[in-house]
Amino acid sequence: MIKHHPSFELIQSFVNGDLPASLSAGIAIHADMCPKCQQIISQLTEQVAENSFEETFLDRFIVDDMSDFDDNNMSNNDLKFTDMIDNITSSEEIAVAKTKVEKTINFREKTYQLPSALHSMKLGKTAQIGKLSRARVQLDEGEIHTTLLHISPGGGVPEHTHKGFELTVLLDGSFHDEQGEYVKGDFIMLDSSHQHHPISIQGCLCYTVANDALHFTQGINKLLNPIGAFIY
Amino acid sequence: MQTNLLSNVTSAKSTLMTDKIDHPQLCQWLDDVATTRDKKAFTQLFQFFAPKIQRIAYGKFQNETQACEVVQETMSNVWRKAHLFDASKGAATTWVYTVMRNVTFDMLRKIKGNREDNLSDDIWPLAEQSISNEECFDDHLENSQLLSVIDTLPEAQKQIVKGFYFMEMSQEQLATHLNLPLGTIKSRLRLALAKLKVQLGDNND
Ligand SMILES: [Zn+2]
Repeated sequence: MIKHHPSFELIQSFVNGDLPASLSAGIAIHADMCPKCQQIISQLTEQVAENSFEETFLDRFIVDDMSDFDDNNMSNNDLKFTDMIDNITSSEEIAVAKTKVEKTINFREKTYQLPSALHSMKLGKTAQIGKLSRARVQLDEGEIHTTLLHISPGGGVPEHTHKGFELTVLLDGSFHDEQGEYVKGDFIMLDSSHQHHPISIQGCLCYTVANDALHFTQGINKLLNPIGAFIY
Repeated sequence: MQTNLLSNVTSAKSTLMTDKIDHPQLCQWLDDVATTRDKKAFTQLFQFFAPKIQRIAYGKFQNETQACEVVQETMSNVWRKAHLFDASKGAATTWVYTVMRNVTFDMLRKIKGNREDNLSDDIWPLAEQSISNEECFDDHLENSQLLSVIDTLPEAQKQIVKGFYFMEMSQEQLATHLNLPLGTIKSRLRLALAKLKVQLGDNND
């Protein structure tokens, strides 16, 4: 059973469209597997939509620097809107409903279904070190790195910490760390105060987002720090 | 505001709708646009949504030109996708909000990093897009009316509509099968659907 969910604040930013694509996709992937969050998201979206299109709600946000929309400019705006209506309605184009497609990805001879939130994202080539394989999700978000990380049975990531955050959404299989066991669908958000050492007995596939290379903290593993940049 | 949202989130769907917005009216206008390409109904929708979208977008972009682009893009999606709106899946405001938020998200990505990947519809699928084409046409198939209307289409369009909806072939498969460019398949399907929509709309009135 899924035990780890995004915080309400995160869901709020998701609904507002304020998160980067990497984190937005992480929440969408989780919600696809979690009816509870799915419901929170749809109710929140309904409410935010209602508020957005309510006159009184908007009035509260009209401030002085919005002089662009003052009465003086209003007639100008009306003209622009009339043009826009003519322009839009002159088009005979009709959108066709998207057909559902399935996409898959292979890691070590195993085929996994690619979450639909990732369907239009470009994936890099798969690289491997030991029991770890990864494919970068090429989102171009600067210091934020997004990865599909596969751990073969018995593999793990040496104990490490982050300067920033590290999100893991478990797409398939399970793993455990000092805090407990994680299953398919779990949404695990860690920050720099967490240290952990995930191990997967059965093997697993994760969607990970981190805004800094991970930093190994223990003994000989410190020598592995270049691997940190490999994984996240 | 945050605590407000938190407490309301648990309450029932219907109580989230206030009396301040005439929801049945919005649905009616959307339906008129969908069935008869009604320009008057669209103008009503535009007058309701556009100024609000413009203000919200201005808040995000701090730029009038880009705010207008969001209005243009959102409202033309409303025009092109009105027939995909399903009132049983949620309010018209929720649907338009989703379209607006998705347009804004893709535009922000484009502006920030010159990335034209349009990821939003995969991350936040519009409610109607979860219905597959087969399901949505199954309802209509019950009355043989659709079949007879399809038969009035020009041969080139008929072939594609039948392959797409009855044989469940993808547009790519059809292109290979019929040895035609994918673009031709897409435009023929679009034309055919527009015609069907008009005909079915007329017949249903
Ligand atoms: Zn959840």
